[in-house]
Amino acid sequence: MISMKNVSKVYVADKPPALSDVDCEIAQGEFVFIVGHSGSGKSTFIRLLLRELLPTAGSITVAGQDVVHMKNSKIPFLRRNIGCVFQDFKLLPNKTSYENIAYALEVIGKSRHVIATQVPEVLRLVGLEEKTDSYPDELSGGEQQRVSIARAFVNRPPLLLADEPTGNLDPATSLGIMSLLNRINKTGTTVLVATHDREMVDSMRKRVIALENGKIIRDQSRGVYGYGD
Amino acid sequence: MAINPGYFVRETWSSFRRNWVMSLVAVSIIYVSLLLVGAFFLASSTLDTLMTSVEQKVTIQVFIKDGVDPADLTTMQTDIQAMPNVAKITYVTKEEALARFKEQTKNSPALVEQLRGNPLPASIEVALIDTRQVQSVVDLIVKDPTLAKVVKTPDNPLANDIRYGQEVVANLFRFTGMVRVVAAGFLVLLLGVSLVLIGNTIRLAIYSRRREIGIMRLVGASNWFIRTPFLLEGVLQSLIGSVLAILTLLVVQAFLVPWLQRTLSFLQQVLTVPDATMLQMMALLIISGVVVGVLGSGTAVRRYLKV
Repeated sequence: MISMKNVSKVYVADKPPALSDVDCEIAQGEFVFIVGHSGSGKSTFIRLLLRELLPTAGSITVAGQDVVHMKNSKIPFLRRNIGCVFQDFKLLPNKTSYENIAYALEVIGKSRHVIATQVPEVLRLVGLEEKTDSYPDELSGGEQQRVSIARAFVNRPPLLLADEPTGNLDPATSLGIMSLLNRINKTGTTVLVATHDREMVDSMRKRVIALENGKIIRDQSRGVYGYGD
Repeated sequence: MAINPGYFVRETWSSFRRNWVMSLVAVSIIYVSLLLVGAFFLASSTLDTLMTSVEQKVTIQVFIKDGVDPADLTTMQTDIQAMPNVAKITYVTKEEALARFKEQTKNSPALVEQLRGNPLPASIEVALIDTRQVQSVVDLIVKDPTLAKVVKTPDNPLANDIRYGQEVVANLFRFTGMVRVVAAGFLVLLLGVSLVLIGNTIRLAIYSRRREIGIMRLVGASNWFIRTPFLLEGVLQSLIGSVLAILTLLVVQAFLVPWLQRTLSFLQQVLTVPDATMLQMMALLIISGVVVGVLGSGTAVRRYLKV
């Protein structure tokens, strides 16, 4: 699903690289945590996969597509295969839950009929049937994050990326979000979560890729958060 | 791809309503700028008509001495008629000259009563095609061999025998030429400033929605899909602004101009704005409005579409 070879990313020429010489393979259907302190390169990792950034060196393949040599006009099609969840939810404040999710389908040209069947389905999956017509500011943080997961997943992408999805949420709510991501993973979707939420990583016992100063220092299946601090 | 074209209409209209404050700001700025451009365009074209009507009054008069040989007179007329840039020549007899003088001075009949006989000379009046070229025609007339036989002072015909407003004509053309250049310069400047202002306003409206654009990119909307509603919105705003400006100018034209014509009756003909000018003004406003709408919103969205 994801393949990175000798990937480096340098933002400013004289500063240490954000990622240096990263190699990794992630297979279809895996659930992977990317862990590390702030500034260890987690977000850069995610943004490279989304082709928001180009690597300084190395090659990246996502869902069978060469991301580095991709034409700009093809980027939207890459992103349709990747669902995205962020710490700050990125919901449109003037649209209801239903409209926010429907929007993701509208902009890729799905018919109103498809939208009318898929949106309620995914709202049921994330457990928000009753909040269909609520606006984001009427929802709790956890509920907003579930709407944003529903939006990322409504298109049934083969890959779901989550950058600090529980960064703004309390532990109990975070647990709900993680189990939702786990449920999505069970449907066959590859899930990649960047986080520094130690309890979460330790309790889930999934594959863990640990980054430090832009290098992979550990990659273990059924791993823990690690770091001695 | 099965894109529903209704999407763009709905999205354009609903974002126009949702962001109505920014839209209102954009529309009013477009309206005011284009109103200024249109008003200035009409004013300068009226000024141009006025100046042209003054310029048209420039003619050459060649005064003929009494008792001239009719054959020489005919030769003279034929020669002038054949010169380049001459539109029409008119022979004014002594009697006609006197009749004109009486007409001009009818308010003070004492002047005419004092006249004994007819002291006024006959003349050839030369109307020109391009009045700016008056000097070259005068030069040709002076060189004409027949001229010496028909005028009073053949040694220096320019002193009395040929009149074309020597003293004012050069200044007049320098002045009107300058006014035209200045007016055109102002129009270009005004248009340029309006375009920058309008483009910037539209960009501001889009800047306030960059978050929305970011989310559209994230969920994989193609660039043209993101851009189209913004472009349509920019065009819609520009169209509303320019149509309002045109309506305002039409109202002004319908009420203010007749009032001016009554008040300043000597300007009657000059102040009538021809329909062609009104149409040019409308085309100018609508086209520049739409072009700016497309360019302004297009370049603004492009900034947030960069990956």
